[in-house]
Amino acid sequence: MDRIFIYEGDYISLLNTIFYLLKNNLKAENIKTENYVPSFFENKIQLFIPKNENIMEQMLKSFGMFVIRAMYYVFLSSEENKELLLYYFTYYALQYRKNILYQRNLKCVREVLRISNYVNHENHKMKGFLRFRELKNHLLYAKMAPTNNILFLLSCHFSKRLKNEFWIIKDVKRKIISIYDKKKFVILSEDEFFINLEKESDNEKEMENLWRTFYQTIGIQERKNDRCRRNFMPKKYWKYITEMSEEL
Amino acid sequence: MELQEKLKILADSAKYDASCSSSGSVRKNQDGIGNTAVSGICHSFASDGRCISLLKILFTNCCIFDCKYCLNRRSNHIKRAMFTPEEVCHITLNFYRRNYIEGLFLSSGIVKSPDYTMELLIQTISLLRHKYHFNGYIHAKAIPGASQKLVKELGHYVDRLSANIELPTENGLKLLAPNKKSENVANIMNYVDKNRSKKYVPAGQSTQMIIGATKESDLEIMNKSASLYRSFHLKRVFYSAYVPVNKDSHLPSISCPPLKRENRLYQADWLLRFYHFQVKDLLDQNNPNFNTLLDPKTDWALRHLDEFPKEINTCTYYDLLKIPGIGVKSAKRIITSRKHFTIHFEDLKKMGVVLKRAKYFTNSEWFQKNWIENNLVWECREEKSKNVTEQLRLF
Repeated sequence: MDRIFIYEGDYISLLNTIFYLLKNNLKAENIKTENYVPSFFENKIQLFIPKNENIMEQMLKSFGMFVIRAMYYVFLSSEENKELLLYYFTYYALQYRKNILYQRNLKCVREVLRISNYVNHENHKMKGFLRFRELKNHLLYAKMAPTNNILFLLSCHFSKRLKNEFWIIKDVKRKIISIYDKKKFVILSEDEFFINLEKESDNEKEMENLWRTFYQTIGIQERKNDRCRRNFMPKKYWKYITEMSEEL
Repeated sequence: MELQEKLKILADSAKYDASCSSSGSVRKNQDGIGNTAVSGICHSFASDGRCISLLKILFTNCCIFDCKYCLNRRSNHIKRAMFTPEEVCHITLNFYRRNYIEGLFLSSGIVKSPDYTMELLIQTISLLRHKYHFNGYIHAKAIPGASQKLVKELGHYVDRLSANIELPTENGLKLLAPNKKSENVANIMNYVDKNRSKKYVPAGQSTQMIIGATKESDLEIMNKSASLYRSFHLKRVFYSAYVPVNKDSHLPSISCPPLKRENRLYQADWLLRFYHFQVKDLLDQNNPNFNTLLDPKTDWALRHLDEFPKEINTCTYYDLLKIPGIGVKSAKRIITSRKHFTIHFEDLKKMGVVLKRAKYFTNSEWFQKNWIENNLVWECREEKSKNVTEQLRLF
């Protein structure tokens, strides 16, 4: 019987579970959230671990900032077995401490670096590709469907940039929204919150048209290069990019 | 004239400027709108694959100059338009709020006099900074020939200030842009370089050269760039393949811009700035132009085969950078990793090294002096034909 350990779905609880397992020499075949449906040969095990809120501080002391950030980014990714990957990574991290990220000949280190890079990269791309629409009452509203769960990282960026605006970002894939009220943002699930988000402000259409005109004008015909454009701006993002949605 | 039409005309006139970077400045949001990201952010990509990060427009495309390569030359009969400062602010702020752009790139044709034009730019940008508290990225073009006082004032508002030298040699400039003087551009660059600080042009200056409009060799172009980097500490020199927009007896008649040449110049430019190469390593009087089949670094390595193969685990950082297929990132990775374990040939791929090229220069098995060049050229050609068939299949 394969043992599948259950954690509560947030980062702290995952770390708690991983440390508990490693401390007690429990070998995990996988670690999953509660709504995981086990197959015939698998056995779900719920652990009741007292919550250790200081776990971040302890990790910061022994692993350092970069390791924690890389692990957090992996946690945000949509990788299927990310929990197990972090379990193995932590196992080696306890051995190598701060030098763990240099051990590129270990597969789990390579994978953690690759995935965390990917999440970081997508976050960076989304900082550019996100498009707000202005609703009545000057509220800004944006939809996106990124591969990884980058809503938190993205909200941090926009709470600095658009400090004096009210904005809402919605992750259509995960059905979560981030709401900012000029002071701080909160992330809620879609069911907890309802607002009519379809009424556009008066000059929204005009601005969109201006932007489309600009976009179509700025490309140089003689240098047309679709392949290059798709490399930088993959088609999966086009749906929510104002100037591209028509080309789909 | 409607705003939409104006924007169309003035964006169309500005599109030949290659610069689009929005990096290198840390401007915080001081209770207004916007900030800048040190890494720079690309917001979209145009149909030619170039990134769009700034709202790239001219203030006006009216111009008293008559530069032969330019769409906006005085003697061309095209529609002319001019923004008002308020209009520019309106578009910039509305685009910025919707996250279409990272900031503003403002250039202009020259109306009345360089000083008058420069004053218009200053008026617009100070309105944006002071009245609307805009803290996003602003890249402005300094107008050559404007007085130093105005260059000084503009520099305090913007993140990047640039002046285009347009053509690599004085003769070329005389031939194609009789109204422009290279010493005017040099004066601006010199002044900006002397006064640069966190408050004055924090993201530095850049410039642009047109490639293929005159008969300069790659050697002359690279020497010019190297001297610009040396004397004015420019952040970037942009190379813009000449796009034929006008007909003139002094201009070459070509049907498509020399994109491959532009690509090779950029590659060499990177070798100068990040790989510690010198122009004299790459080109000399006997071969003044780059090889079109191979990139400049591979080309260099083939001419210096006696330095290879290099031992990855012992050679210095600078030696690593000289190996084709190894870049700055992978070289740094190798340096940090080899302190902890011995790197084998198989590990190189995991470090992000391009083995296709690097294998010939690091592994003694592959290092066979006689056939490296043929192999590399062959592989390069094969790749190209593969691309072509892929594209054909689409139709």
